[in-house]
Amino acid sequence: MVPVEPQRPSPSTLPRESLTEFSDGTSHPGPLLPDDRVEVEFQKALLDRPSLGIRLRLVLGFLIIVAVTAGITVTSWLLLSSVERRLRVLVVVDRLTIEVQQARRFEKDYFLYGTNLPDALDHARQARQLLVSHMRTGEPDATLGNEGLAAFVHQVDRYEELLALLSAGGRDAAPNAGNIRRGELEASVREHGAGITSTVLDMATSERRSVENMLAVAKRVPMVFLAVSVILTLGVANFLARQMLGPLTRLVQATQRIAAGDFSPLAPARRYRDEFSDLAMGINRMTHELERRYQILVESQKLRAVGTLTAGIAHELNNPLNNITLTATTLKQFRSKLNEAEHGEMLDDLVTQADRAQAIVRNLLDFTRQSEARMEPLDLRRLVDDVVSLAQTQVKFTGSSVEVDVPPDLPTVHGDRNLLSQVFLNLLLNALDAVQKGGRIHVSARRAAEPGFVSVDVGDNGSGIPAHIIGSIFDPFFTTKATGQGTGLGLSMSRGIVRQHGGELRAQSVVNEGSTFSVLLPVTMVVADLSSPPARGDCSGTPEGGQRPA
Amino acid sequence: MERQTRILVVDDEEIVGKRLLVALKSSGYDVDTFVDPKAALARIAEQEYDIVVTDVRMKDVDGIQILEAVTKRSPRTKVVLITAYATIEVAREAVAKGVFDFIPKPFKVSEFLDVIARATAGAGL
Repeated sequence: MVPVEPQRPSPSTLPRESLTEFSDGTSHPGPLLPDDRVEVEFQKALLDRPSLGIRLRLVLGFLIIVAVTAGITVTSWLLLSSVERRLRVLVVVDRLTIEVQQARRFEKDYFLYGTNLPDALDHARQARQLLVSHMRTGEPDATLGNEGLAAFVHQVDRYEELLALLSAGGRDAAPNAGNIRRGELEASVREHGAGITSTVLDMATSERRSVENMLAVAKRVPMVFLAVSVILTLGVANFLARQMLGPLTRLVQATQRIAAGDFSPLAPARRYRDEFSDLAMGINRMTHELERRYQILVESQKLRAVGTLTAGIAHELNNPLNNITLTATTLKQFRSKLNEAEHGEMLDDLVTQADRAQAIVRNLLDFTRQSEARMEPLDLRRLVDDVVSLAQTQVKFTGSSVEVDVPPDLPTVHGDRNLLSQVFLNLLLNALDAVQKGGRIHVSARRAAEPGFVSVDVGDNGSGIPAHIIGSIFDPFFTTKATGQGTGLGLSMSRGIVRQHGGELRAQSVVNEGSTFSVLLPVTMVVADLSSPPARGDCSGTPEGGQRPA
Repeated sequence: MERQTRILVVDDEEIVGKRLLVALKSSGYDVDTFVDPKAALARIAEQEYDIVVTDVRMKDVDGIQILEAVTKRSPRTKVVLITAYATIEVAREAVAKGVFDFIPKPFKVSEFLDVIARATAGAGL
């Protein structure tokens, strides 16, 4: 795994300085304690969006489906109603056809046999009544149109009139029939009858065709409806799913991130606020609290280390103190027997041993002091030496030896002395726990295989770490030590600190041969900012890590 | 003129050796001091001392090993342990192996000389 440059979000909604500014140095409890103000900013950013709830979105989505369904249903109903009306018209036209055909048959009988003329007239009247009542329904006529229909009624009237003339006049001309002779009258009756018959047949044919066309359309409607419903439902479902799954996925990623110890707050990703925003805010409150407690644990972990060290350091102090006491009492008791040079040497020893005692105390104080995180160019050699001397007593107790091999020409690394000392001390104390009497611990530094990184390795020839647990050693609260012996926070805390520096902490181990822990630190041109945790994802970054919507 | 009491001092703190050398010589003892416990062990193998004073915690070799080596070579030799890190376990082990006395650091030169005087008297020197 190649260490990655930490990416910090700078939500456009947030003032950058709220993320970068650190404590004012007076009230800040420690270098890593969460900054309440950052959390407040993120919560505000999550809140300051127009609200569009999931419920509302669901309701809108389903309303669209309902509206389209209603539209299609109404269309289909209208279509069927007009089919029904056309069918009614068709029935009328059929009856009309029958009446006209009957009238024509009786008319033909009359011409052939001189009988049934009143019957023909009767059927013609029936036809006319049918037509008039059909006109009164106001149904637009598919074949003739309303004017055509009126003309047709007129034609039927005329036919009826002519029949009436025939039945009234016999051979004489009817007074209102003009002076037409019987032959002409008969011809006119036939002509009108034929006209009416053809019109009626045309009407019947075209009404049938129109009904058939409408039925064909009506048959297609359910299919169209089905297709539209399926597409629309899928579309709405897909849209709503994306609306839900997007934030859910981001929240899941956020929880994984939090589980890995990154407590950065979630930032807004979308235009609108909804129930997920409330959840995100809840998660932010939770992580803030988690971070606070984690930092308390980190401090307690540090105090544990200090406790371990203090006993050793108290003993360690005995050496320079003894040198001072012994020298001072020797000088006092045997001054007369010693020459000037020996006096000088003893006085020099007093000074150097007092300095040595002071250095031991200062080293411990530096380590325990909660100073602000401060990035500075590091002298890795000195840092490692200080840590080794802090643990010197433990080294002696275990009867092991520590070899330090940090070349002076390494590229510059920036970091916080105090925090990195904690890391190296932790690794060193772990190594001391792992080795037997006479064990060898090797602290070395070199340019890492990854370009742009320096690697500081703490290796031991101890018992090693079994393969099945090496994946868990960086987990918070994971410990192989007996209850009460270890907090299980050392390595997880150390990895957190190294990652904060933009680096990575790795472990390699072979059982019964030993382990090597490598601290990779970036060679720095630009000083990193320690005030916000590294490698943040957030509930809201766009998946491609692009610009988030403003 | 009775022979001088021969004393070996081993402490990886160089100053301890230097000061005890001055104090013991001025008090009329014959003294060898070693900073390197391995070299001290080599010397013990070839020469007998009346009193051996050794620090307990040193690199490579500890005071208990010196004590063992001395009592093995000459049981009459008195061994005095100097310790900056007094632990019960070490004390117990040392007593079991016949240590003459402990001197915890830090100590005054007079306290040290008192212990040496007692050891010398005890040895009937």
